[in-house]
Amino acid sequence: MSDAEQASDFDPTTTVDEFEPVDVFPSSEDMDLRPGADNCYKCTSCDTSCPVAEVDESFPGPKFQGPEQWRLKRGEDVDIDDSILSCSNCMRCDDACPSSVPLSQMHNTARGEYVEEHMDKLSREYLRNRMLSNYRTLASIGSKVPRLANFVMGLGITSVLGEKIMGIPSERDVPEFATETFRQWFKKRGGSKVTNPDKQVAYFHGCYSNYNTVEVGKAMVRVFEEFGYEVLVPKQQCSGTPMFANGMLKDARREAEVNVRELGKAIDNGADVIASCTSCSMALRQEYPELFDIEGIEDLSEHTYEAMEFLRIHEDLEGTIRESEVDPQAFAYHAPCHARNQGLDRQAVELFRELDGAQIEDVGDSCSGISGTYGWKSEKYETSMKIGAEMFDHMEHAEGDVGMTECPTCAMQMNHGTGYEIRHPLELLEEAVAN
Amino acid sequence: MSNKPHVVVIGGGSTGTGIARDLAMRGLEVTLVEQGNLTHGTTGRMHGLLHSGGRYAVADQIAAEECIDENRILRDIASHCVEMTGGLFVKRPEDTEEYFQKKLEGCKECNIPAEVLSAEEAREIEPYLAKDIDKAIKVPDGAIDPFRLCVANAASAEEHGARIETHAPVVDILKEDGEVVGVEVEHETGPGKRVHREPGTREEIRGDYVVNATGAWAGRIGEMAGLEKEIQVRPGKGVMTIMNTRQVDTVVNRCKPKGDADIVVPHETTAILGTTDVEVDDPEDYPEEQWEVDLMIDTLSELVPILKEARTIRSFWGVRPLYEPPDTGTSDSTDITRRYFLLDHEERDNVNGMTSIVGGKFTTYRLMAEEISDHVCEKFGIDAECETDTTPLPGSEDFSVLDNYMEQYGIRSPIGRRSTQRLGSRTDEVLDYDGPNPTVCECEAVTRAEIQDGIEGAGSDLNAVRLRTRGSMGNCQGAFCCHRMAAELYDEYDETIAYDAWDELYQERWKGERHALWGTQLSQAALKYSLHATTMNRDKDAATTDSVVDFAAFDSGTAAGGSGGTTGTAATDGGRREDE
Repeated sequence: MSDAEQASDFDPTTTVDEFEPVDVFPSSEDMDLRPGADNCYKCTSCDTSCPVAEVDESFPGPKFQGPEQWRLKRGEDVDIDDSILSCSNCMRCDDACPSSVPLSQMHNTARGEYVEEHMDKLSREYLRNRMLSNYRTLASIGSKVPRLANFVMGLGITSVLGEKIMGIPSERDVPEFATETFRQWFKKRGGSKVTNPDKQVAYFHGCYSNYNTVEVGKAMVRVFEEFGYEVLVPKQQCSGTPMFANGMLKDARREAEVNVRELGKAIDNGADVIASCTSCSMALRQEYPELFDIEGIEDLSEHTYEAMEFLRIHEDLEGTIRESEVDPQAFAYHAPCHARNQGLDRQAVELFRELDGAQIEDVGDSCSGISGTYGWKSEKYETSMKIGAEMFDHMEHAEGDVGMTECPTCAMQMNHGTGYEIRHPLELLEEAVAN
Repeated sequence: MSNKPHVVVIGGGSTGTGIARDLAMRGLEVTLVEQGNLTHGTTGRMHGLLHSGGRYAVADQIAAEECIDENRILRDIASHCVEMTGGLFVKRPEDTEEYFQKKLEGCKECNIPAEVLSAEEAREIEPYLAKDIDKAIKVPDGAIDPFRLCVANAASAEEHGARIETHAPVVDILKEDGEVVGVEVEHETGPGKRVHREPGTREEIRGDYVVNATGAWAGRIGEMAGLEKEIQVRPGKGVMTIMNTRQVDTVVNRCKPKGDADIVVPHETTAILGTTDVEVDDPEDYPEEQWEVDLMIDTLSELVPILKEARTIRSFWGVRPLYEPPDTGTSDSTDITRRYFLLDHEERDNVNGMTSIVGGKFTTYRLMAEEISDHVCEKFGIDAECETDTTPLPGSEDFSVLDNYMEQYGIRSPIGRRSTQRLGSRTDEVLDYDGPNPTVCECEAVTRAEIQDGIEGAGSDLNAVRLRTRGSMGNCQGAFCCHRMAAELYDEYDETIAYDAWDELYQERWKGERHALWGTQLSQAALKYSLHATTMNRDKDAATTDSVVDFAAFDSGTAAGGSGGTTGTAATDGGRREDE
């Protein structure tokens, strides 16, 4: 190699002729990510962007968790530092790194190894994490009897027991189940009102829009139909986001296999995949191909979009918004970290400032602190609230007293910290264009 | 003064420290003198390969048999310096089947366990091997840390009463009546542990016998002793290129007769590529050329393609101390034997009191030491058994408790693992540190306790601390730890000493870094430079120069608040001030 040649960035997912690690590493837990450490020149940008490291002195930070820890491994070594469980998987380090170190992939893989090799499968922590990451299973049971489930979960005694037995912070209110799931609603209305084989989208509603905030799902369908799209709602499982964050890679793979297969069918028919939750779209786009080798997974990654992003690309959304009007209202908008990583952190603000009646203010680039299931653990609750403090503060200083964000768990945290009602951008979009 | 014979050993490499240990264990009085740090010469500039003997199984079977015997012994007595990685001789389609079979046969003849693996089996062990390889032979090669090994040998020698003097180059061989009676050394910073700024002194060290174990420098000592016949060491230089990460966890050799760039050795956190063999005139002054580095990467990519894309952190050159008995007349230095020779100058040159040991290789250092110790003992009629083949080195004693240390010291687990791998049975003693124990070198996971232990052993010499701990040997090459290591010298040593030691460490790191300045390592070097220049004035510290800073040349700055700034000039954040 001459001095003029630049060593190329390490990308374990590419398949060049002489280097096909997917051939020889049967699963992500066996993936050798040591070469990824080559890209790190230790500038520490990741550490300074890490919200956990900012509030928790004992957390060594993403540089240690990622490139340093991987580089220190020898072939058979299984030592993963237990601090990997304190990483919230916000993935801000990915965005901060100027040198393409596959940080979150390293963290996800290390966490998977840690859980597999070091965690006691009968410990309260493991069981609690397993339960949290399999929220979909819980929710599907709860929403069979939503009123009873909501009643039981709302009881003070449940909350006390949750804290004592499972390590779920009693400060948090468990989200209510909708009395009718999104899928039930969709089926009842007879599917999409639009039939258009040339303009089809497959909606990945995720768990939360299905079982809890069904109004987000409904808004998505109505907005896309307004633009002439036929909305398909294929069979789907959890995206895997909470499973990655808890190192439950086997669970995540099981779900991913279904999603890749089912969404793949829609893609084969010419549809793109639309998510309303930015963590779901993140999982499908980035984490899937980084962690799993499933046929069609790259295809799914390339065809997945966040809802508003898709419309901004394919429709004159800004033109439509400029000519629309809503009742006067002001929003304090928070961009989820996972939206930031997809380059979507400014889109709601840029779009809605053109909308008559709506006032929208970005509450800054801090992390909300909940990071999915992270803030739902007693031992992480305090850290989670410390991280969120900056956002709460900015929300209170913002004009509006309604919050807005794309991420369902960021929404929980925003509500928890300020008491504000939180809306999804699709809901405002629905009000603007679909009425 | 005891009546034990006093032996002066010249050379603090693997052979010299091995001899010092052996003789001291046999009850002799020993003084070892070394011109630089321990491992200063060839020992510190090698692959770190613990030969199975497979490499020599076709061309040099005596050497091969010695290797496999010593390999087994070192695994035992130097377990904390050895990582039994296993090794592969990989056959590519263009390599001959004939040689492959010869290699296999040779291994069997030399009692080297050898097993043929299919391409798939080999790639299962080493996934980054090229896809088009034919097959491989698996042998018990390993990786060994030469620094740790020499330090352990020297420590053991000291425990048995030996005196070790580093930074003490021999300036003369003392002779009386045609007999060697000792050496004169220049203590660069006084005798004992190295402390910067101590005044240099000279010392005549008289001994009953002198052993010349200076490898490629043997000829110079011979000259000082006034030998009529030159000791004809033929130094052959070889390049070694260090990769940032371990692309392989097994030693990977190319299965062909001989050639440049045919081996990759996993070493600690890195992989070392080697090597070339070019005869040079002077073991201290020879060109280090970029083509040699390029050759390593290009050629070895045929075995491990990812190397082409991978990051190199530095390159270094070593000189083999090859010796050829007179009148052999080998023209190509790669054909010179790797065996060792004992030159008794009484027989050879009629000069009593001195023997030189030349040639040989690192893996058989202990055997060489044993043989020369036998020779010396015979001279004095001492009948003492060699015990170095069964007595573990300090650090390799009881190694079974390794895992327990991890939790005990509350250090991050990969860091704990690394520390215990380096310290072996000394872990308890070193890590039981009073006070906070932060990680000083993040790349290599070296904590304060280890650095302090290194300082205790090596004085203010940070390069010697580096060799003991691996501090500053990782991918940032000291960008984040040179200054921390220097700070650890305080307050045992004062500020000026810390600065001198720090500068020396910079210089030593730069020596190898400059051969890896492209891609990410170039970014790394640039970051290191700017960090140290801008935050610590290490590019040109005004306090260290005689020139006076002309403060008047600076303007008075702009007043705080909006109105004081001059429009159109740069604001403090680097942007332009807006016109008002």
